[in-house]
Amino acid sequence: MTHRAGIFRVLLVVTAIATFAFLLAPIAALLLQVPMRDLPGLLRETAVTSALLVSLKTNVIANVIILAVGTPAAYLLALGRFRGRPALLTLLELPLVLPPAVAGIALLTAFGAFGLFGSALTNAGIFLPFTQAAVVIAVTFVAGPYYVRAAVSAFAALDRNQLDAARDLGASEGTVFRRIALPLAADGLRAGWALAFARGIGEFGATLLFAGSVARVTETLPLAVYAQLDVNLDSAVAVGILLLAISGGVLLVAKLPPLWSPTGSSTPVGGW
Amino acid sequence: MPRFRLPCALALTLLAVALAPVAASATTIYAASSLSKVVPTIAPGNRTNFAGSDTLAFQIEQGAPADVFLSAAPLYAQRLYAKGLCDTPNVFALNTLTFVTPASNPAGITRVQQLDKPGGYRLAVGGKNVPLGIYTRTLLGKLGLGRALQKNTVSQYQKATDVVSTVALGSAAAGFIYTTDWYANTSRLRAISVPASAQPLIRYEACVVRRSGADTAGAKTVISRLLSLSGRQALANAHFGLPPKS
Repeated sequence: MTHRAGIFRVLLVVTAIATFAFLLAPIAALLLQVPMRDLPGLLRETAVTSALLVSLKTNVIANVIILAVGTPAAYLLALGRFRGRPALLTLLELPLVLPPAVAGIALLTAFGAFGLFGSALTNAGIFLPFTQAAVVIAVTFVAGPYYVRAAVSAFAALDRNQLDAARDLGASEGTVFRRIALPLAADGLRAGWALAFARGIGEFGATLLFAGSVARVTETLPLAVYAQLDVNLDSAVAVGILLLAISGGVLLVAKLPPLWSPTGSSTPVGGW
Repeated sequence: MPRFRLPCALALTLLAVALAPVAASATTIYAASSLSKVVPTIAPGNRTNFAGSDTLAFQIEQGAPADVFLSAAPLYAQRLYAKGLCDTPNVFALNTLTFVTPASNPAGITRVQQLDKPGGYRLAVGGKNVPLGIYTRTLLGKLGLGRALQKNTVSQYQKATDVVSTVALGSAAAGFIYTTDWYANTSRLRAISVPASAQPLIRYEACVVRRSGADTAGAKTVISRLLSLSGRQALANAHFGLPPKS
């Protein structure tokens, strides 16, 4: 017995160490590639600062859309009682399995000049490719499902009795959502949002194909890394570190003790 | 204690077997993406990696397991040669640029000089550091259109094939692509003539990659096939130009 338990414990420790070593070694190597004191200079290049602005602007807009539309939609999908709910949930996961370049082609075949809605959009005077709106669409399309999926799980895990109790006390559906469901699901929602944000800020393939790489308009940080690779490896690495810092910062914020959740309970990203 | 050594040793052995590189049976060809159609016909049965020549050169510099490097510009093959990473490069094909619009030409572009109009068109071009982009800038310079990339809305791509799809799918009103790519996409693209005198000299160079464990013999076979009569025929069929016979 004790031997078997010992073997199992060794296995656990070995796999944990292997996991950390494998996932963190490339990140450590990236950080060691460029001397830290050279970073500010490399990041001050105008190509980098303009790409940073494009990335921040488009991702903020995309994340607002994802949260504002995704949260109520996930609430309905999680708690609504209607036919075909499992099928709908599966359909929502389809964009997750698309390789980014295919996602870009899919967006073009829908919203591109010759796409499904191309002539309708053109008639309305809207041309999406090569615009920041296209970057926002690409990021929303690729990152959104991560949030919605997590939000559905978070809402589905709620204790329906608590929601019903609030209703019995006369709370409207809107109040139940806002005052009970949102705070209780907050940890799960933040965890899902952090993942979606990290996916969106690093988006490359769909953006390149759908939005193009126009300097100061659609050239995001990941596109800038790729374009910088052969000009200057150091500056490409510096942009990579910047992306890492932004994503790491967001993950940290998502892990901070919840300020507006009454439970303080934890989820994968909610903290240990 | 000895009892858990066995499972651990087994697990490690399995891991080592799983991670061991697959035995090399084919030659690994790193080729410019504009060669993606023709290389498999000339040297079938080999592993291929198609990307921008700059990306490929960078990967080889980082120790990628390439045996042959087929570059869309002398610059990258010569850079590897200078660093001792490949043998003397050979010119094996020539190319030209074609100015294209989508087949339906929604912007109504008929002459390359229209790019001189301020505020003009959405253009797709190669990035300023990849061969296609460098050639495009040379061509525009010779046409006296050096400012065209500032006057139009320009999206830049690291891969020649991305420029082709961007124009073919109508995201860009026009773009500059390799003539060979134009011949491969005539149903979706329309070519607009460019004075021959403005064409840059586009030479493709092949070299045998030098690294420990490289399949040098296989690499030499691939290159001799490229330079052979049948190789030249296949390149000509794919609308590449040919260098004088060496």
